[in-house]
Amino acid sequence: MSNGPLEIKAISGHAGPVPGRDTSRDYDVCKLVDVTTCIGCKACEVACLEWNGYPFRETVFDNTYQTMPDLAWNYYNLIRFNEHTASDGTFSWLMRKDQCMHCADPGCLRACPADGAIVQYANGIVDFQQENCIGCQYCVTGCPFNIPKFNPETKKVHKCTLCSDRVGVGLEPACIKACPTGCLHFGSKDDMKDLAGRRAQQLREHTAHTNAGVYDPPGVGGTHVIYVLHDISNPEAYGGLPANPRVPWTVKLWKGPLKWLGNLAMFGGLLGVTLHYLRFGPKQVKEDHAEGKS
Amino acid sequence: MTNGWIDIKNTDMMLIMGGNPAENHPCGFKWPIEAKRNRNAKMIVVDPRFTRTAATADLFVQLRTGTDIAFLGGLIRYVMENNRIAKDYLVQYTNAAFIVRKGFKLPEDGLYSGFDAATHTYDKATWNYEEGGDLKGKPDTPGDGAPSANPPALPADVAYDLTLEHPRTVFQLLRKHFSRYTPEMVERITGVPKDQFLKAADLFTSIRKDGDTKKVGTIIYAVGWTQHSSGTQTIRTAAMLQLLLGNVGRAGGGVNALRGHSNIQGATDMAGVFDLLPGYLKVPTMADVDLKTYLTRITPKAAKPGPWNSFNYWSNTPKFAVSLLKALYGEHARKENDWAFHYLPKIDRRYSWAEIWDDMYRGHVKGLLAFGMNGVAIGPNSSKNIDALKKADWLVVCEIYPDETSEFWKSPGITTDEMKQIQTTVYRLPGAGFAEKDGTFVNSARWLQWKNAALPPPGLARLDQEILARIFLKVRELYQKEGGKFPDPVLHATWNYTDPHNPSLAEIAKEINGRALADVTDPKLNQTIKAGQQLPGFAWLRDDGSTSSGNWIFCGSWTEAGAQIQRRGTEDPSGLGIYPNWAWSWPANRRVLYNRASCDLSGKPWDPDRAQVWWNEAQQKWVGNDVPDFKPDSPPKDHMGPFIMNPEGIGRLFVPLAGMADGPFPEHYEPTESPIDNPLHPQQTHNPLAKRFSTPLDKFGSPAEGYNIICTTYRLTEHYHYWTKNNPMNVQLVPEPFVEIPAELADEMGLRGGEKIKVTSARGHYLAKAMVTRRIKSMIVDGKKTYQIGIPIHWGYRGIAEDAGKTGLTTANQLSPAVTDPNAYTPEFKGFLVKIERA
Amino acid sequence: MSATISRILRYTLNERILHWVAGLTYVYQLLTGLAFYSPHLFWIAVLLGGGPTSRFWHPWAGLLFTVALFWMLEVWRNDMRITDADRAWAKAMPHYIRNEDEDLPPIDRFNYGQKYFFWVMLWAGIIMLISGLALWFPERIPWNLRYLRYLAILLHVSAALISIGAFIIHVYMGTAMVRGGFTSIIRGEVTPAWAKMHHRLWYNRIMGAAPTRR
Repeated sequence: MSNGPLEIKAISGHAGPVPGRDTSRDYDVCKLVDVTTCIGCKACEVACLEWNGYPFRETVFDNTYQTMPDLAWNYYNLIRFNEHTASDGTFSWLMRKDQCMHCADPGCLRACPADGAIVQYANGIVDFQQENCIGCQYCVTGCPFNIPKFNPETKKVHKCTLCSDRVGVGLEPACIKACPTGCLHFGSKDDMKDLAGRRAQQLREHTAHTNAGVYDPPGVGGTHVIYVLHDISNPEAYGGLPANPRVPWTVKLWKGPLKWLGNLAMFGGLLGVTLHYLRFGPKQVKEDHAEGKS
Repeated sequence: MTNGWIDIKNTDMMLIMGGNPAENHPCGFKWPIEAKRNRNAKMIVVDPRFTRTAATADLFVQLRTGTDIAFLGGLIRYVMENNRIAKDYLVQYTNAAFIVRKGFKLPEDGLYSGFDAATHTYDKATWNYEEGGDLKGKPDTPGDGAPSANPPALPADVAYDLTLEHPRTVFQLLRKHFSRYTPEMVERITGVPKDQFLKAADLFTSIRKDGDTKKVGTIIYAVGWTQHSSGTQTIRTAAMLQLLLGNVGRAGGGVNALRGHSNIQGATDMAGVFDLLPGYLKVPTMADVDLKTYLTRITPKAAKPGPWNSFNYWSNTPKFAVSLLKALYGEHARKENDWAFHYLPKIDRRYSWAEIWDDMYRGHVKGLLAFGMNGVAIGPNSSKNIDALKKADWLVVCEIYPDETSEFWKSPGITTDEMKQIQTTVYRLPGAGFAEKDGTFVNSARWLQWKNAALPPPGLARLDQEILARIFLKVRELYQKEGGKFPDPVLHATWNYTDPHNPSLAEIAKEINGRALADVTDPKLNQTIKAGQQLPGFAWLRDDGSTSSGNWIFCGSWTEAGAQIQRRGTEDPSGLGIYPNWAWSWPANRRVLYNRASCDLSGKPWDPDRAQVWWNEAQQKWVGNDVPDFKPDSPPKDHMGPFIMNPEGIGRLFVPLAGMADGPFPEHYEPTESPIDNPLHPQQTHNPLAKRFSTPLDKFGSPAEGYNIICTTYRLTEHYHYWTKNNPMNVQLVPEPFVEIPAELADEMGLRGGEKIKVTSARGHYLAKAMVTRRIKSMIVDGKKTYQIGIPIHWGYRGIAEDAGKTGLTTANQLSPAVTDPNAYTPEFKGFLVKIERA
Repeated sequence: MSATISRILRYTLNERILHWVAGLTYVYQLLTGLAFYSPHLFWIAVLLGGGPTSRFWHPWAGLLFTVALFWMLEVWRNDMRITDADRAWAKAMPHYIRNEDEDLPPIDRFNYGQKYFFWVMLWAGIIMLISGLALWFPERIPWNLRYLRYLAILLHVSAALISIGAFIIHVYMGTAMVRGGFTSIIRGEVTPAWAKMHHRLWYNRIMGAAPTRR
């Protein structure tokens, strides 16, 4: 959703320079999810739903505490519940709040062809502008986290906005406000990284989680939602958090070299036929009948 | 809670057992997390299931439901065997050194001395201290001891041995009693493997390793402890463990009950129990022929070792009682008429929750006012409650939704013809929701917090107080017109509200706090409270009719300085999370009870970093960050005990006389329905005093009849009891009823998650889908492989999913038995036997 | 040989309709596709009714395009077989480029380039259809098969680029280079001289058979 006070850093499918870029000293914002203190209470889910004004919908029992199998176009925030047995036999019940990661190098934005449908603000928020969305869902393909969801009725794609409308007026995202245990934190990226790093260190030094760490994947340039995980070596256990997420190389190839190669080839083709015409001209049929046309 | 929610952040060690705070108290669970985050506190979770709380724990131990006393008893033994006790605290602040009188017998065979098999009660004469002086080094003489006084009373001068070596010291008896709770025995009973138990025991008691007195551990529990046939004794065991470890009264310590409703603490404070009056005064019995008899019976006399001192705060009982009578009956309570004592109802027997339904089932109770509670769904043995309602003449339900009680005749299984036979007249009153009312909630931390109404009640809905006031005034009118057997208590009840038909809760709160009826002077303070003024605290209460107070423990909540319960001060100068200016905590705005015990005998805090109160030698009084829970000018040298509400002034490891119905020490008894005989004494498997009912619907199952799976019940974060099933948001989060089944058991049955199953107990059945989980594992209990399953209680036959035909329309409490604990009369919802099959 | 024959039917009405269904849908696909391809060309989508509209019709037009392609295959399967004569012609292609048509070996109804164009478009069409379906319904592809989506994007755009190259040459030759070619696909007829010059074998074949009139 759009908002005034945020400074835009990059926008999708846009020719030419980004208006207003590099004119503000806004800091990067970041949401820290300390998975080790999440109790799966779903307050964030409800807060998200209520703030974004989406209706409550029907769900079905699916042998889990998880509200629904996956995020939906009108459900941006889902706690994933996973029963996990580690290689040493330790059993754990992992609860991870899943939502848009707000990548510094957003695959969705790279893939999006629509002018201004995806906006990356200077503070790190990656936001979909549904009025510019053409419904092509390339963002779905570009996202390494399986986040954007398509509304087949309106043909628009939606995802977590990191409450850009709240952040833009100096409030924290709705999920942060609702979290009862302090598992969710919000602040500058530097502060959150520091906090996460210290928490991970505490876990390594004072608990059995000697492999705790901070999930801020470099493959997408880091994210503006970061996790503290009990076991950084196995993010997949937390409901399919990719170990090393990257913007798909085909998307990069397509939006990078292939685009320029294609442009060049198309231009070359047009140039070639023009030159050919200038050099050789048309093929004339030599008519051997008087009534034949030239 | 002895302490408070925020105070949990001060702890070093948490034992969370019989509760699932992450699930049921998610907001309060912030503080255990804070303790972990800021203090590296350790959290041990002991539960029948791997819960949401367990997900954040350092150590999880799966325990068989209903065996908590065995586990805690094992911890007590561990503490004593491994010298993890707080020695000074134990000797000076508990009755460890007190000598128990001769003739008292420990329950090696499952019974204490004095058991009467005919009435299933105890003659508690031997459950007492010995009289007279220091017995240090004196040999114990044989014999049964002196005959006890009649009625039995505590000796004023209690015999003691501070070396704890006398064989009849509480300490030695305790050691002997719990010597049977070896790790091997704990494993047999609880199903917790010995190595796991020892790991938990070592971790929890590590706070007292090598004589450390600074560290603090807390015990956090909820109805997973109370809802058993030995529930009260379970909590006692925890309290004893905390006394042994010296954790009571200290920041980050205590025994902390998490209340399951936003105002359940307020309900008990305000006499939501049949045998209590407001402020935990006892309801008169038939023997209390006049006020004097009553007050003599309920006012304790100090009983302590000679050189020690005891504040015995309950000695003020007459002041509290007379002030209550003045609040209830105003000018009609006069000295000449015993302050209208005879207006008070007297109880002849128990009228607890389960008894009310039993009485109705037997046709004695003809009508029921059900306000804000769903008696059918609450159970236990819901089918019996439904049948009871069929026999009632009338039922009034005040609710915000139609529920299982207000539509009891729609219970599945009742045919149209049967429905026509039901003659109960049902009145449904539209109540107001919590956000539509102002007033107070008393939270688990004993804080009275005022809330404002968020919006007016919709449509014809009315506030509770208006509905009750209109009923009362109508009843009073009828008494005025028609007389009746005993109209005085109704005609003379105080009802001086600005709008008698709709009293404001602020007015009632002020009335509960109490005011001076005549000028009251405290000569020590040289201060006078003028007649008509609000009282500043319960120290001002008098037994001469010059004060009135609806509840002495709330006295100080709404003073001349204003509504203390509406305060919103966020200052916390000590950093201990005391927030003295936020709302108001009973008693006297104290945040941690028994906080004198946070200091050593000389009045210095055990841990200076967590100083709550201390003795100020210069001022000659107790001062501190919290309000001292003590006689403020009693110097340490006087050795006044910190547990001022006990006549001994100390914490009770041994509960003498009438304190507990079923034994001065806790003993493990099997749940009423149990897969094994009690390994401690197979001839006495169950709590001999647990109350069972005897109607044809009170049936019990055994493994021999095929009921060989243990079932427990609980709530979910996503739902609140039986009314959020009417709210789309909650229904979205958890749409349907389910039963949690261990994956191993599901494999044996070939059952997959999502399949419909039928859970059957001796009393009824429950239909829901299976949630197959690895969070519940099989256990070896006394050599037998045993499975536990769990049922969240939130569904019934009215609600969104129910009305849409998506559920089996059964209530979980159709399974649970109506067996009650002998002390608190709480039914055994948390452990019974079932069998399961595909539906 | 009769002097009265002035026109030879080169494309039946059916063939012409087919061609233009394919051609116009391709042009629509090309324009909308280019709009999605590069921000610098997104203005095309705006001209064509806006991004969402373009995105909505693009797959449907693509379906129609591939239907037309397969129909063409049905109609022209025999004509499009590459023969020895074509291979000989291909060897002499530089002459063709330099307009030295008299030095080319004779060929049948379609020359090697036309056939090659057909097959390129057909295969590109098939690839774009399959990859296009994946791009049309990406949410139907399970997360663990997401590589199919990544592949689809690459295939779709690569096939499109190749088809564009072929298309540029096709349009150039059909309009500017080979005079009479464009008329033939509009009206269906060519002059005997045209046929003789460009498709001698075809000319001979049909002239040997019953001559066609308008």
